[in-house]
Amino acid sequence: MTVAVEYYVLLSMAVFCIGLMGVLTRRNALLFLMSVELMLNAANINLIAFAFYHGNLTGQVFALFTMALAAAEVAVGLGIILVLYRNFRDVDVTVPTTMRW
Amino acid sequence: MVGTGAGPFSYAPAIALFPLAAFVISLVFGRQLPKKGAIPGIFATAASLLFSLWMFATVAGGETYHETLYEWSAGAVTTEVGAEEIAFSFGLLIDPLSALMLVIVSLVAFLVHVFSLGYMNDEGETGLPRYYASLGLFTFSMLAFVYADNLLMAFMFFELVGLCSYLLIGFWFRTKSAPSAAKKAFLVTRFGDYFFLIGVVAIASTFGTVAFAGEESFVVAAETAIEDGTTLFGFDAQTWVTITGLLVLGGVIGKSAQFPLHTWLPDAMEGPTTVSALIHAATMVAAGVYLVARMFGYYALSPTALSIIAFVGGFTALFAATMGVVKDDIKQVLAYSTISQYGYMMLGMGVGGYVAGVFHLMNHAFFKALLFLGSGAVIVLMHHEQDMWKMGGLKDKAPITYYTFLAGALALAGIVPFSGFWSKDEVLFDALIVGLEEPVILAAYAMGLLAVFFTGFYTFRMVFLTFHGEPRTETAEDPHGVGWSIKAPLVVLGLLAALVGFVNLAPIAKVAGMDITFLEYWLDGEYGYVEGLTYHHYHEMVAFEEGYIGSETTTMLLSAGLSLGLALAGAFAAHTLYNVPEPKRHTTKLGGAYTVLRNNYYQDEYQVWLAEGLTLPLARTADLFDRSVIDGAVDGVSGASLFGSSWVKRIQTGLVTNYAALIVAGFIALLLGLGLYGGWF
Amino acid sequence: MMIEALIAVALIGALVTFVAPNRVAGKLAFAISLVPAALSLWMFTAFDGSGNALLDGDLAFESHLEWIQLGEYSIEWFVGLDGISLPLVVMTTILCSLAILSSWTPIDSRESQFYGLVLFIEANLIGVFSALDFFVWFIFWEAVLIPMYLLIGVWGGPDRKYAAIKFFVYTNVASLVMFGAFIALVFGLGDAVTSFAMPEIADAMVNGGVQSSVFGIDPGTFTALVFIAMFLGFAVKVPVVPFHTWLPDAHVQAPTPASVLLAGVLLKMGTYALLRFNFTMFPEQVETFAVPIAAIAVISVIYGAMLALAQTDLKRIVAYSSVSSMGYVILGLIAYTQFGVGGATFQMVSHGLISGLMFMSVGVIYNVTHTRSVEEMSGLADRMPIAVGILVAGAFGYMGLPLMSGFHGEFTIFFGAFQADFAYAPLFTALAMFGIVIVAGYLLFALQRTVFGPYHLETDYDVGRAPLHDVAPMFVLLALIIALGVAPELIFDMITNAVDPILNGGDL
Repeated sequence: MTVAVEYYVLLSMAVFCIGLMGVLTRRNALLFLMSVELMLNAANINLIAFAFYHGNLTGQVFALFTMALAAAEVAVGLGIILVLYRNFRDVDVTVPTTMRW
Repeated sequence: MVGTGAGPFSYAPAIALFPLAAFVISLVFGRQLPKKGAIPGIFATAASLLFSLWMFATVAGGETYHETLYEWSAGAVTTEVGAEEIAFSFGLLIDPLSALMLVIVSLVAFLVHVFSLGYMNDEGETGLPRYYASLGLFTFSMLAFVYADNLLMAFMFFELVGLCSYLLIGFWFRTKSAPSAAKKAFLVTRFGDYFFLIGVVAIASTFGTVAFAGEESFVVAAETAIEDGTTLFGFDAQTWVTITGLLVLGGVIGKSAQFPLHTWLPDAMEGPTTVSALIHAATMVAAGVYLVARMFGYYALSPTALSIIAFVGGFTALFAATMGVVKDDIKQVLAYSTISQYGYMMLGMGVGGYVAGVFHLMNHAFFKALLFLGSGAVIVLMHHEQDMWKMGGLKDKAPITYYTFLAGALALAGIVPFSGFWSKDEVLFDALIVGLEEPVILAAYAMGLLAVFFTGFYTFRMVFLTFHGEPRTETAEDPHGVGWSIKAPLVVLGLLAALVGFVNLAPIAKVAGMDITFLEYWLDGEYGYVEGLTYHHYHEMVAFEEGYIGSETTTMLLSAGLSLGLALAGAFAAHTLYNVPEPKRHTTKLGGAYTVLRNNYYQDEYQVWLAEGLTLPLARTADLFDRSVIDGAVDGVSGASLFGSSWVKRIQTGLVTNYAALIVAGFIALLLGLGLYGGWF
Repeated sequence: MMIEALIAVALIGALVTFVAPNRVAGKLAFAISLVPAALSLWMFTAFDGSGNALLDGDLAFESHLEWIQLGEYSIEWFVGLDGISLPLVVMTTILCSLAILSSWTPIDSRESQFYGLVLFIEANLIGVFSALDFFVWFIFWEAVLIPMYLLIGVWGGPDRKYAAIKFFVYTNVASLVMFGAFIALVFGLGDAVTSFAMPEIADAMVNGGVQSSVFGIDPGTFTALVFIAMFLGFAVKVPVVPFHTWLPDAHVQAPTPASVLLAGVLLKMGTYALLRFNFTMFPEQVETFAVPIAAIAVISVIYGAMLALAQTDLKRIVAYSSVSSMGYVILGLIAYTQFGVGGATFQMVSHGLISGLMFMSVGVIYNVTHTRSVEEMSGLADRMPIAVGILVAGAFGYMGLPLMSGFHGEFTIFFGAFQADFAYAPLFTALAMFGIVIVAGYLLFALQRTVFGPYHLETDYDVGRAPLHDVAPMFVLLALIIALGVAPELIFDMITNAVDPILNGGDL
């Protein structure tokens, strides 16, 4: 038996909202990165679910792309966080606001 | 009869080019040369003089020359009289008038160069190459101006002599006063030249030509336009000729130091006395009057313009003469007398007395150059003291200077038979006969006549204070000697001042019925002439009526007697007051008038006020306006952008959290908006 | 291919100078800049063009290359010279060489970059005066701004950042207005044009113009709006009052050679573009707007001169007097007569030489005194007679002394404007001519205060004679000024030849 596509969408929404709440409320940069990761994966769930639903592989292919992109993003993000830590001795995102203008 | 390029006239350009070469040589090599550039100058002016005399002789032989040599600029125009092409060119016009003037200019220039050896070199001046170079450039420009065949070329060299005047007045640039006087001289004459340039542009735009002579000249074109009743620039031809004529007159008034643009000339005495003699007495100042003579045919078309010339001339003659009465500086007296004498020439020109005006121009060039050089000799004698009250008794110490100076003074005062008498008398006679019919001219005549008395007075006041009485200072007791280079030019000019008047003995000719008015014949084309540029022709064109008291001869004798009497009266007054061993200042007797005269009728004050009290604050206000309002608007635009961005940029907090929140809020707002628009709810 | 050679020599020279060591950069750049100068002089003698470049004239040194196809429109590399642009190109190359020579003394840091930028400007300036395709022209036009921005911003005076940004933003915004207007015009011309070649657009404008309404605006109003927008765009560059305020700031802060180029050549870009675009492509609008433009010209002349009168900084005086002089050029252009437009073009060249000379003289004075305030010095003639002599000569050139080029320029402009067709032309001319009195006033006043009188200097420097490489370029300029003053036909002939078609609606 197959799970109805609505449940996938509900799951994806839940995961996305958790990620979003993480970005909106957290101050730790690492948690930011994880939250972004959650949102990306929420999108992936959607892509794969609809690909399965339509019997079309395009979604899966894009999910692969997203994963590659996420990996790259994590790499860059971690790099930035490392530099941040080295300069500010902290990974709190509210500290380096002096770099805004 | 207009000759073509052949014969002596093909050498005419050299007259001006010799001094130009001297200018270049003195400028480049002056430092290395013996006498610091005086030698090339003397040779060049001597060569110019010889060539000028040659030209004079050729004109006397019945030939004249009118030739375009070099096209400066040309193009298409749309003029009021329909000409479609115009060429501005350099060309020569050698007719009796210019040939005469060439001789005068090159002779005075030559003598001044010689005199400079004694006045500048022997006095150990520095910067002599600059001095001689400027003199060379001046002589070049002046000679080129004299034989210019068109108005634009005349204007160009008119401006260049102004430059040389600036350079030479400011010769002693290390002082404060000389650069200031130089600036003033250039500015005031520039103000006149502004009108002159408008006049040139207007005449060229109207008639499509700026030539002085020939069928293609603007004078002929103007005559035709008046006859045809053409409308020019919205005016009838007669009015337009008057307007343009008066515009050109602006330059004349500036250069010839006529009221109200005369204020620069007394200040110009800051320059070396040789310069005053050459430029500010004999030649450059004469350029204005010469220009009137040169385009007399044009002025002759407009009685209004002529009346204004006459009135300005008469007024200036009197006005300047009164100021000359109270001056203590010998050069200042001469400066005011120069202004006054040019007033006479203008008066003569303005009443149609072309010959009288030119005659006085010639005589004045000689006797005023003489007086200035004489005063230069006095200044050398006195170790550069110019105050007449510190002189006295120089008569016996420097006889040659005294007698030549006296000859000049007699000529200036107009005492028979010295040259000034003959020409001044002719001017006044011409003014009188026209004045008997025209009240404006009569007023001008009256002023000119009254000025004769003052002229006699200040001239002899100067002579008596300087040469007579007891020496009043130690330098006057034991003056510095002067060399041959100072004496020789004085003697030459002294002879000329005494004798040159005999070329046009009009009164004697009338009374005795002899043919001895040579200058009149000369200018009337008895020898050589250019069509349309003769006295005869001018006399026919001038529309003034002439009246006589009794017969012509009685009028003339009356006029001559009156002017001679007044001159003698002035001289006698000076004799009584100042020809005493210990002269005193009598100026206090003048009371309030003295203050006014001493301050030159406050002419300088109001002109300085115009420059410094009006224009400068106006400029400062403009600057303030520019910096605050105009630049303020520009800075305001950038300021407003900066201010706006300083507020907007606060959205950018630097917190990713806030950005994300904004994105979410924006997304929701978009969703809601689209939903409302799409009717989901 | 001569023009390409000129541009290429300057560009490659710029690159070479960039990498050259600082101490040889000045001499190297001068040597390189002599090549375009010599080439352009040769081109001047070999010039065989006639007519106007935009109106079916025979171009000299013409060259076409296909470049980009932009939808229906093609963009070409299209350069060539006519009697208007050739004198300007020659002036540019000569002035650049002399500017480089005059920077040997004042520039003492980052020399290789400085001289590289000057050569880069030169390349672009040549491009501006020779390009005949709008896009190519516009690229050069904009590219001039960048090096000039850097020259002012890096080597300038104390307030250099403000001046550089003001200059850049102001002129750039103006370019944007002009660019937008021109693109709209090309769009409005519709099928009549298929490329951005200026001759093609000029032809379409003169023979027909905008036919149908554009953006709902009727053709007449639309063309008038484009004319106004382009006039405003160029007016900033000229500059015309009231868009002139960037100029004094830029001049005062810029180093001497940059001032020389700014006054000598960059200002002429504005008037050149006005002549090429507004006054060639819009003959009808020129008539319509003659009176207001003439009024602006007169205001520029008098107001600019009045401002100069109020200044005490020598460079500000010369800067404001440039505003005044460019007013004459506008007056000559709007006269729309052969002498007026020809004189205006002549005045562009003449003013380039004379203002270049003036800025060099002021620069030489600044080099030794380290001040430009007329209140802080007097009697300099005592210490540096030759430099002061040239300064005095240059000042008289500026005043329009006859037998110097300024007089011919001004006289022909006045003469051309006096007989112009628009209302009260003689009156406008007479008013503008009053500028010749004011210019004499402020220049003589400045001379009296600075170079004459007893020697005195507030700043603590020892004033000696200027070195030869400071004085030599001024001698060259003075010689050119006198040569053009005595024999203006050297260039006036070719200028009037190129101007005629503009006035006759495209017919030679």
